[in-house]
Amino acid sequence: MIKIALAGNPNCGKTTLFNALTGSNQFVGNWPGVTVEKKEGKLKGHKDAVIMDLPGIYSLSPYTLEEVVARNYLINEKPDVILNIIDGTNIERNLYLSTQLMELGIPVIIAVNMMDIVKKSGDQIYIDRLSEKLGCEVVEISALKGEGIKEAADRAVWLAQQNKKTPAVHHFQSEVETILNRIEDKLGSQIPNEQKRFFAIKLLEKDDKIVTLMNVVPNVEDEIKEIEDMMDDDTESIITNERYLYISSIIDECCKKNSKGKLTVSDRIDHVVTNRFLALPIFALVMILVYVVSVTTVGGWATDWANDGVFGDGWHLFSIGTTDYENAVEEYDRAEQILVAFDEGEDVAQIMDEEENVTETVTLNDSVVSKANEIAEAGEPDPSEFGVWVPGIPGILESGLDALNCADWLKGLILDGIVAGVGAVLGFVPQMLVLFLFLAFLEACGYMARVAFIMDRIFRKFGLSGKSFIPMLIGTGCGVPGIMASRTIENDRDRKMTIMTTTFIPCSAKLPIIALISGALFHGAWWVAPSAYFVGIAAIICSGIMLKKTKMFAGDPAPFVMELPAYHMPTVSNVLRSMWERGWSFIKKAGTIILLSTIFVWFTSYFGWIDGQFRMLDAMELDHSILASIGNAIAWIFTPLGWGDWKSAVAAITGLVAKENVVGTFGILFGFSEVAENGTEIWTMLAASMTAAAAYSFLVFNLLCAPCFAAMGAIKREMNNAKWFWFAVGYQTVLAYAVALCVYQFATFFTTGAFGIGTMIALVITAGFLFLLCRPYKESQRLNVSSVMSSK
Amino acid sequence: MMPLSMVKIGEPNVICKIGGKEETRRFLENLGFVPGGTVMVVSEIGGNMIVNVKDSRVAIGKDMANKIMVR
Repeated sequence: MIKIALAGNPNCGKTTLFNALTGSNQFVGNWPGVTVEKKEGKLKGHKDAVIMDLPGIYSLSPYTLEEVVARNYLINEKPDVILNIIDGTNIERNLYLSTQLMELGIPVIIAVNMMDIVKKSGDQIYIDRLSEKLGCEVVEISALKGEGIKEAADRAVWLAQQNKKTPAVHHFQSEVETILNRIEDKLGSQIPNEQKRFFAIKLLEKDDKIVTLMNVVPNVEDEIKEIEDMMDDDTESIITNERYLYISSIIDECCKKNSKGKLTVSDRIDHVVTNRFLALPIFALVMILVYVVSVTTVGGWATDWANDGVFGDGWHLFSIGTTDYENAVEEYDRAEQILVAFDEGEDVAQIMDEEENVTETVTLNDSVVSKANEIAEAGEPDPSEFGVWVPGIPGILESGLDALNCADWLKGLILDGIVAGVGAVLGFVPQMLVLFLFLAFLEACGYMARVAFIMDRIFRKFGLSGKSFIPMLIGTGCGVPGIMASRTIENDRDRKMTIMTTTFIPCSAKLPIIALISGALFHGAWWVAPSAYFVGIAAIICSGIMLKKTKMFAGDPAPFVMELPAYHMPTVSNVLRSMWERGWSFIKKAGTIILLSTIFVWFTSYFGWIDGQFRMLDAMELDHSILASIGNAIAWIFTPLGWGDWKSAVAAITGLVAKENVVGTFGILFGFSEVAENGTEIWTMLAASMTAAAAYSFLVFNLLCAPCFAAMGAIKREMNNAKWFWFAVGYQTVLAYAVALCVYQFATFFTTGAFGIGTMIALVITAGFLFLLCRPYKESQRLNVSSVMSSK
Repeated sequence: MMPLSMVKIGEPNVICKIGGKEETRRFLENLGFVPGGTVMVVSEIGGNMIVNVKDSRVAIGKDMANKIMVR
């Protein structure tokens, strides 16, 4: 088996090349112990060759996780050949990594990418001379257009089969070379000859992570001191300079630049898109477009289809016949209502639509009644007569289970538990795919990197990075893809902080709760819904400030430095692939964690003790269920929040499974088998059972507390660490509890004037909250001092 | 010698010295910011800048731009 390692800078087209080389034959995972993605694939056309896609890196220094992962792989696994992809439009910087790769003693083949752009701009790269000067194979490719890719792969395989040890050809100044030779001699036999140069340079650079890869570490302090005194610089800078010097010394012979000094297309786009005045309006426009299309129009339509069609009654193929069918249903309903009115001896019939609004008043006479009779006798319209009717999954399953004479409890488990639960989650998939499609496009074309740049100044003020904006925007639709979008944030602390705060933004599933509380307790006051968003945004800002001051997130803020890729049109296949990768990871999760949790909730809500007997319950007997017992047992916890009755407690628990459940649960608990989305039926009952203060506290708690199972699963996956997962969920719940408590206690105090122990506790919490918000950043003071000193 | 943050858009400048924390300085070096190299500011918002260095575009924060000295 031939192992090919694919290495290169970020944004040089590595992923495109990897996809082109492997097709769909990929395995995606994580490098052990870290959240760096690991991709492996079989080389197309060569059964015995695998390609390892290394993370995008700028050098083999020990400063980033990606670099350490990549170099450990290269040293320990010793791939047969390194395929080093470099960006032809940016060859000098890219060769910096190449010089380091060539010191590893592994054959290197350099693929100069984006040759089409290089040629278009009138520049020239002389491949032969480059190959001669670097002492390795060099080929031209265009990963985006698929040019030269097969040749590059064939050449890499051929090189691996030669099985030659290739020493690096490039050299530094003689002083540096002498010192390096002395260190190489000290290494002795523990390091194979071809790797000696790499280890010698790393030792000279005082790279402390290299020591873990060696048995015996020779003392090289004399050499370091000697060269530092001689060149009046630290060893790392000396080596960096030597590399760039070597590259500049060969580059003029190998490349001819005609475009020097001219602005590239990308720079000209940046002049507009990241312009001081236009940047924010353009950004707002793009975001509104993404939001409108993926959450409301196309996405909304797709979600309706998935929820009402696939996981509902069914749908007409390509929507052919849907309008006719709906008209027929309407006509049938009208006829029925006319007949009812006629039977009751009325003179006129009031025709009502589904929402019970009067749409038409018909004066009854013989012709109207006989026509209605005719329609009614024809029977209820059958959807399959109007087009190709595809029944929904629940319908198919139900008839299938009936045919099998399946036990009632199993039918209940499958239909009410699994299909209803998992279906509700999978119903979001089409919408998510639309959203992911946009994100993949924005990422691939290069705009996403600019968003971080534009938003950074604003988000930095409360401890988040510019890239946090995108997850939060997506979070207004659904928290799951929102949390997953945090992947684009490289900085570990910023990413964790974003994951923890993204779900504070009210997602679409929380809107029915807002509608319920606002309708039942506040007579639909206009301020309730905007206040929910305000609470979410305030929670994000306050959390950002508070968490940055804790030990876990403390430390110098990561300075904002990031490379911006050149703007380019991404290929359709790459965008679709990226969309599908994210979508599929969500679907897989729905199949595991969500499946298990829905089974658990179904079991606890449909089974319980009635008159000392344990049995399955009807939907109306929910107050005897295990879930109700749990609700009763924990209701006291919520007493300080003003809603310590078991019904609210149970509603909050089912809200953990999916926020959509809250309104439905209240409906069932108040004795309705089904309620409208905003729960109009139970408004009066809910209003009687809690005060306005308690209701708003319930709303706040549900907005801020741990999100639904699906989002918690996403948090766990993205944190990739059990401790951090529990910290995130715990923090959200504690914050929700504290805020809800303060809301209830203060609102009660100001409306009734009752001052009790609860008010005291609320005051203490508020004081603690203000302390956490206002205490100084210890680390940042130190940073200020050092930055003042260094700028002097 | 002046910090990069004071440079006009579109003018090429030569890097003299890079300050700041060692880790950040290394990262900048790996990205192509080395003394003697040329930088050009492409655009600027509130102190944050997009600069062109060794044919690639790099976005840097205001505090970093203050630590890169050019002439």
